[in-house]
Amino acid sequence: MTAIKNIFIAFTLVISSQVFGQNSDTAKKDWKDSIVLLDITRNNHNFRVPWDKRAQSVSKFGVVLENKELITTATGLANHTLIRIQKGGRGKWTNGKVLWIDYQANLAVLGVENDGFWNNLTPVKFADSKSLKENLQVIRWRGGNIEKRAAEFSRFTVADANFNQAPRIELKASSEIEGAGQAELMVSGDKVVGLVASKISGTCSVIPAPFIEDVIKLRKKNNYKGLGYFDFVWQPASNPAVTDYFKLSGEPRGVLVIKPGKKTPLKLHDIILEVDGFPIDIQGDYLDPDYGHVIMEYLACRHKWAGDVVSFKIWRDGSIQDIEFKLPKADFSDNLVADRPNDVEPTYLIVGGLVFVPLSAEFLSSWGGDWQRSAPFRLVFYNNQKAKKDQKSLVVLSLVLPDFYNIGYQQRSSQNIVIEKANGEMIATLEDLAKAIESPKDGFHVFEFKKGSTLKKIILDAEKLSEANQRIAKRYGISKLQKLK
Amino acid sequence: MGAFAYSAEMGRSVVQVLVYSQTPIWDAPWRNNPVGASSGSGFVIKGNRVMTNAHVVGWAKQIVLRRFQDPRPWLAKVEHISHECDLAILKVETPGFFEGLDSLSIGELPKVQSPVITCGYPSGGEQISYTRGVVSRIEMQNYVHIGNKAFLSVQTDAAINPGNSGGPVFQGDKVVGVAFMGIPGLENTGFFIPPSVIRHFLTDIEDGEYNGFPKAGVRIVSLQNPAYRKYLGLEATGDGARIDSLADYTEKDGILKTDDVILEVGGHRVGSDGTILLKGNRVYCTAAFQEPQDGEKLKMKIWRNRKEIDVAVPMKVRKEEENTGNLYDAPPRYYIYAGLVFTPLTLDYVKTFGRNWRNVANLEMVYELYYRKNEKPESARKEPVVLAATLAHPVNADIRLASRAMIDNINGKRINSLEDLVDALENNEKEQHLIKFGSGTIESLDTKKAKQAHKEILETYSIPSDRRL
Repeated sequence: MTAIKNIFIAFTLVISSQVFGQNSDTAKKDWKDSIVLLDITRNNHNFRVPWDKRAQSVSKFGVVLENKELITTATGLANHTLIRIQKGGRGKWTNGKVLWIDYQANLAVLGVENDGFWNNLTPVKFADSKSLKENLQVIRWRGGNIEKRAAEFSRFTVADANFNQAPRIELKASSEIEGAGQAELMVSGDKVVGLVASKISGTCSVIPAPFIEDVIKLRKKNNYKGLGYFDFVWQPASNPAVTDYFKLSGEPRGVLVIKPGKKTPLKLHDIILEVDGFPIDIQGDYLDPDYGHVIMEYLACRHKWAGDVVSFKIWRDGSIQDIEFKLPKADFSDNLVADRPNDVEPTYLIVGGLVFVPLSAEFLSSWGGDWQRSAPFRLVFYNNQKAKKDQKSLVVLSLVLPDFYNIGYQQRSSQNIVIEKANGEMIATLEDLAKAIESPKDGFHVFEFKKGSTLKKIILDAEKLSEANQRIAKRYGISKLQKLK
Repeated sequence: MGAFAYSAEMGRSVVQVLVYSQTPIWDAPWRNNPVGASSGSGFVIKGNRVMTNAHVVGWAKQIVLRRFQDPRPWLAKVEHISHECDLAILKVETPGFFEGLDSLSIGELPKVQSPVITCGYPSGGEQISYTRGVVSRIEMQNYVHIGNKAFLSVQTDAAINPGNSGGPVFQGDKVVGVAFMGIPGLENTGFFIPPSVIRHFLTDIEDGEYNGFPKAGVRIVSLQNPAYRKYLGLEATGDGARIDSLADYTEKDGILKTDDVILEVGGHRVGSDGTILLKGNRVYCTAAFQEPQDGEKLKMKIWRNRKEIDVAVPMKVRKEEENTGNLYDAPPRYYIYAGLVFTPLTLDYVKTFGRNWRNVANLEMVYELYYRKNEKPESARKEPVVLAATLAHPVNADIRLASRAMIDNINGKRINSLEDLVDALENNEKEQHLIKFGSGTIESLDTKKAKQAHKEILETYSIPSDRRL
């Protein structure tokens, strides 16, 4: 038995009467009227038991904007069923709702139906890109009081993708504040520097204010198109012999494209010299006027959005060329493993006790934070593969609910294997599978799995299927045997 | 005479095996780990030979035997060794060793619950030691020495401790097994190699050469689902296990097919769970596949296209999966060019990454080693090669990928083996070498400078030879 390691910890605030005495700031701003508490109830799905829902409670913070809106991080809002908002750190809770959300930007705008809620609340002002480093403080409600903790600027980085998240700039700051990462405010003087998106050991990752402001402005104009990304893979050109090989004259510079994307015009072994006028160094970094040396991936989201054009200066076939690069939307639709389906209930199809699910990032994440080690190797390995014409996505037989109908297929070798065909039809989605089940072959359902799987073939009796389905649904307390898109 | 009356007398033919051995360093393949001392047991068999475990004498630099209550050292060497089934035959180089020692003969598979005595020189003392127990169960077990193969194995509650390895297990006046392993964390469980495996090895080497155990290259699964049985035209509760998939080489032979149902193998009836009855024990049917010698045919009764047919499958020893098991005695192959150390991708190599070698950074290697052959045999390489290390020198200092990367292509040549790589680098007439890695990353070296630096690098790092092919 594999231990299920995804223990979701509901963040609870500890009521404490501690006095926060380290308050040495001289800022005039009192944050009490600009930060609110959010209490979110959400359905937490286990993608390996996809019909099962568990209510989860998430506590976090919201920040007051102009026009009677709040902004917070998108984390924890997926599949929410109720949002309660409290101002002033105590007293009455008010119902809220999501007005706008983008999981890749990790931002959400909330509204409140009761207009009276906004009395005594003051919208915040955001810091500009030059004032993000000095006198940082983290602000949140704690035990009915505002807690202020000092933070120290560390660096700007472009967020690492765990799954295929779009690149975005992050401010890293160290602070001793405990359990942060719930959209606490990071401030400097009377301005907001950003929202704390997460905290690992002593380091807070903060979504910086200029990015938040950009997003807010675009949303206001109804012109937010989502994040774009560079869909190619490059390697540093730190070995001059490599650039020599491609006859690049002059000083060593630029990076080499080693896997071009399908959606954009860069080709294999193009050397990228400049992006939007910024020279790219041999590490793949450039000098950003606001953030210093950062990786060139950031140029896919530096005031640019999906569909915008980024200009590239490249070395191709022995000459310099200018190329216009239209940023593809960061939906990663060309990946074989589907990206996180936020706000979507898990889909599944149960056939005679065989539980089929799409091979998705969420499914892999159900093995926990270290899914890349603990999930079955074969499934993990699909994660870095691109979709093909005849195979845009994959469907996994994730488990078998034991019943005499499926005896012989209940051992571990028939778990976590990827289906190739059902009743002779190629399977890429649950819909394909549902359709194939409608046409059994000579009274049998024939399931074939990918070459090299621990089990290659399963056969079920078509005539007895509906009887078995009913029995299994009843025995295992499953209200719906399928949930498709 | 009681069941154990013989054992004290037979104990005189049990010897202690003292070994100094040295294992290679797989990511610095011209080097070796420090010499280590270990000991095991062995026993005299006919033909003036000593039988012991392969793991007792693997990588041995010196083997010395000690007779029962005889202080003199006797020098021995390995005559035949099977790392698969963990057995070895030693020849004694000093004359006179066998004087006064009776050879022990191999008996039959003991019955479950029958009493056995293990005998040998386990740790915790100097003198010969006897422990008694019963046969607990008999089944197919993974043999840990090779790591990727299962053979018939007998479990006993007689103590088997380090140093017992290679010693005989007695029943009456016969040897019914060779003690060889325990399982950490399990108490009162020791395992010994049964007579069928010992005999297979002895028969194999009769011609003076060890070939190994042949392999059918089939994955056999149970056939218990009534619908599947009906689909194949078999009654719901009958016998027979199904061939679910074939190794690439078996598919090419064309004798066995997927969805063949094996009704009988080597005269043994196969149950729907894939087991056969072997001397009163239900064991997995692969036991029967291990009975023939290399080149012999295995008779099978097969259910195919709703008919019972007889087939004779030529059984061959297969080396295709060698690199996925532990390797012994042959020092690692390598080639060093301008400080870049290339070696074949093997389990031993990836184990140098540490216990978590199956981690993210090495996904490509794990796939290449274990999965590609089965999934995409058409794109599999005979011997995938990795850049194991880079010996720093100005000529290679700009190469960013310092080590642990799979090689795809060098100077336009696809690298299917270490020989391909040597050829691609040594016969390049261009000014630069272009090395393409599995990840798509490319690196380059100046051909002239690389050649010039080569000798100096070998001297700097005290490397006796730039290659072992």
